[in-house]
Amino acid sequence: MGFLTPWFLAGAAAIGLPVWLHLLKKHKTTPLPFSSLMFFEKRTQSSIKHRRLRYLLLFALRTALILLIVLAFAHPYIEQKLMPMKRSGEVTVLALDNSLSMRAGTRLEDAKTAAKSLVSGLNPGERAQVLAIGQRVQVMSEVTDDHAPLNAAINAIEPSDARSSFGELTRTLRSIQQSLHLPMHAVLYSDMQQSGMPTNFNDLRLNSDIRLDPQPLLKKSEPNFAVENVVAPRRVYDNKKTRVLVTVAGYGTPKASRNVSLILNGRVTETKTAEIPENGRATVEFLSLDVPYGRNKGEVKIDSADPLTADDSFFFSVERGDPRHALFVHDPVTKNLLYFKAALEASGQSAFEIDPVTVDQTVNLNPSKYAFVVLADVGTLPPAFENELRNYIRGGGSVLITLGGNAARRGKVPVTDEHIETSMYAAREGERFQTAAWLDASHPAITKDDRWDGIKFYQAIRIAPGNSRVVVRLADQTPLLVDEQMGDGHILVFASTFDNVANDFPVHNSFVPFIDQTARYLGRLDSGPASVLVGSYEELRDSKETGSAVDVVDPKGERVFSLAEATKVPNIQFTQAGFYDIRRPNGRNELVAVNADRHESDLTPTTQESLSLWQNTANGTSANGEGTTAGQEKPLSLWWYIMLVVLALAVAESLLGNQHLSVDKEAA
Amino acid sequence: MLQRFLDPATLASISGLDLVAKTVVDGFVAGLHRSPDFGFSQEFAEYRAYSEGDDLRHVDWNVFARTDRCFLKRYRGETNSQLLILLDTSASMGYGSHPVTKLDYSRFVAASLCYMANGQRDAAGLIIFDEDVTNYVAPSTRQGQLFRLLHAIEKVETGTHTDFTKPFVHFQNFLHRRGIVVVLSDFYEKPDVIIQTVEPLRHRGNEVILFHVLDPQEIKPKFREPVLLVDMENSTNALEVSPEYARNEYRKRIDSHIEALSSKARGAGMEYFLMNTGRPLDEGLREYLAVRKGRF
Repeated sequence: MGFLTPWFLAGAAAIGLPVWLHLLKKHKTTPLPFSSLMFFEKRTQSSIKHRRLRYLLLFALRTALILLIVLAFAHPYIEQKLMPMKRSGEVTVLALDNSLSMRAGTRLEDAKTAAKSLVSGLNPGERAQVLAIGQRVQVMSEVTDDHAPLNAAINAIEPSDARSSFGELTRTLRSIQQSLHLPMHAVLYSDMQQSGMPTNFNDLRLNSDIRLDPQPLLKKSEPNFAVENVVAPRRVYDNKKTRVLVTVAGYGTPKASRNVSLILNGRVTETKTAEIPENGRATVEFLSLDVPYGRNKGEVKIDSADPLTADDSFFFSVERGDPRHALFVHDPVTKNLLYFKAALEASGQSAFEIDPVTVDQTVNLNPSKYAFVVLADVGTLPPAFENELRNYIRGGGSVLITLGGNAARRGKVPVTDEHIETSMYAAREGERFQTAAWLDASHPAITKDDRWDGIKFYQAIRIAPGNSRVVVRLADQTPLLVDEQMGDGHILVFASTFDNVANDFPVHNSFVPFIDQTARYLGRLDSGPASVLVGSYEELRDSKETGSAVDVVDPKGERVFSLAEATKVPNIQFTQAGFYDIRRPNGRNELVAVNADRHESDLTPTTQESLSLWQNTANGTSANGEGTTAGQEKPLSLWWYIMLVVLALAVAESLLGNQHLSVDKEAA
Repeated sequence: MLQRFLDPATLASISGLDLVAKTVVDGFVAGLHRSPDFGFSQEFAEYRAYSEGDDLRHVDWNVFARTDRCFLKRYRGETNSQLLILLDTSASMGYGSHPVTKLDYSRFVAASLCYMANGQRDAAGLIIFDEDVTNYVAPSTRQGQLFRLLHAIEKVETGTHTDFTKPFVHFQNFLHRRGIVVVLSDFYEKPDVIIQTVEPLRHRGNEVILFHVLDPQEIKPKFREPVLLVDMENSTNALEVSPEYARNEYRKRIDSHIEALSSKARGAGMEYFLMNTGRPLDEGLREYLAVRKGRF
């Protein structure tokens, strides 16, 4: 016998009300004028006693009524012994965790052994199925009562680099149960990592016919060191200017020092020592990255001396190349080249090399060999070069055009031949300067730094943007930066100059990031990360490349796709940690470094309370999971029975009270 | 339908006492005409030769046309009947468990009797008393007598306590002619004392009617809880009374009091009538008319 909500018992204090009403309330008489008292006698005392005695039964009824209501709210229950119910046709689902953390020690082997033991204990006719759970759930076998394929499926489960997801497992169990329409007994063999739990507990909701039976392989947390992250450049143009930043993390670890090695193409180039605080993180910086030309495999490794070695390495890919050339057409009188070149060199990675030419030198120049072209306030271009430029842009090239006095005199924007509406100069009598009033921060040219507030623009050329994308506007709504698409290429028009005369932009903080990002945008320099996570996807081909074969070699050196798949598959999901070599038909080969999700490095197991809650999300499932053979204790609520008694008492009370308090019908 | 007009609560809503009396009596008389038991009307008695000074309204012009002589038509009721109403205004008469107090009810009855007597050309008079005589209107058939009576009844207010012996000695002095004496009181006194006091009125040949005016709450009191009753005639006298006592013991006592008063009154040759203020007035009037009829 117990109470589900015992705090309601405090309501028993309410019996004070009938006690006060019947026993403690002062007898209060109301003075009432009456014509004559010659027929009355003083017999009050006996009368009150008489009344109290008469109302004693009513008092008892009322007290019992209140006590029973309080009792009903306290939800009393008795433990009822239930005999185990045989669930006919129950299917056993064996779910084995093969995430990265299961590589530690012999966990996966232990899980397989336990699963096989359960399979051997299945009665003839009892059906089962085997699942492998990582980031995605793999169905390893059909629902069958044959032990051989079940054991084979268990043996076929291999350790993976994926992250465990119990939310995904729950969804799969629900869908399997809904398709089978049979009761299910799910046995989960896992290290029950806390990091595998979804953020929303509702994702763990099980159907009422699913009985979850978790078999934790890890009872307590184990210390583990891991290389949590490596920040390295994707492309290197100068070995001296690069650096690699490594973060080493300890999960449940004491204070320790670990050797961190930088390995390039299988050769240890540098080793440093990291002092890792207790259960904390430490960073190590490698100041040079001496890699040969071409695509290189980088790796950072620590000597962790813990059971989980898979997270002791972190892969990254780095490509060494020469800077690409960019054509800079300018008027030598102006200082456009000076500021542009200085800004590009100041941005760190010298990915581009500027080839400056004057307008006259462009006569026989072919722009197609340049990463991008800059037309810095040029007037009239040679028609042949202008045509070449247009073809270059349509073929995917990019041009940055700045507009100043030369362009204003010509009255047209070079290449695009758009009409220049007016040239606005700051005047003493009018606005002394203009500022950038509106910026489209999503544009790649200004996405990193869009603080152009303090820049003063003294001269701006107003053009009609038409259908082009306006990236920056001045305060008087003059378009300052316009991005125009022509064929497959882009024309970026800056309606002022870089000479520190028409504006003070070149001496402003935002100039260097603007030039750096604009150059990368125009030169189509991909600035993606040096590594990706297991489970992420990569586009293999764009819409034009349909039908052409893409060769992908996985970290084990095996081809991922068959010949037929290689011509059709649009993308690839990386399932293993290591280097994927992607060879595209247009020669754009890529080395992708893939790392396991570092959530797996935290080996802290889920608490027993959370597991119980997960089990109890299914109605009627047992919390302890031992109910297969033994009887279960089930609380039987007495609420309804008490409420029935309360109802009967309420009727009796109202009848008795009515009898006592009703108007004297006889007198009426 | 007509009973509705005799209901005390209805009458209480009528402002003028004359209108109350008219409503009661007219309604009552109209009710009588439909009754097969009561054939009361002014009965013809005799013809008398006209003599100088007689009222020409009583001349029978049909006889004059036939005989060329003047005769007066005389009725039996026109003889010497006199109504004297004794109205008790002691403080206890101010009690009422509903909007109409005992005094209000008595005033309605008195006014109705006066109105009725006036209609029958009886000489009606009024004595108002509590522990002493507070007002006296001598019986008369003069013009405006009704309004004098109604005015006196209108002015009635509750006084002090009742003392039968003192004012009833004075009543002897006011009664010069025999007639009907109506006493309206709650008679909170021992029945022997009441009868002894009132009996001398009877000796002069008067018909005495005792209207015992009581509130329903006085006859059958109903209390939900113990109450502290304060005597209206003596506020220092208070008693805490339980509902059980009021329901049982008190009822026995008041019933025996009513019974004793009734039997002793009838034993002394007086009419006794218990008037419950919760009931219509017609029963009281009917009682009066029964006695009045006996006078003819």
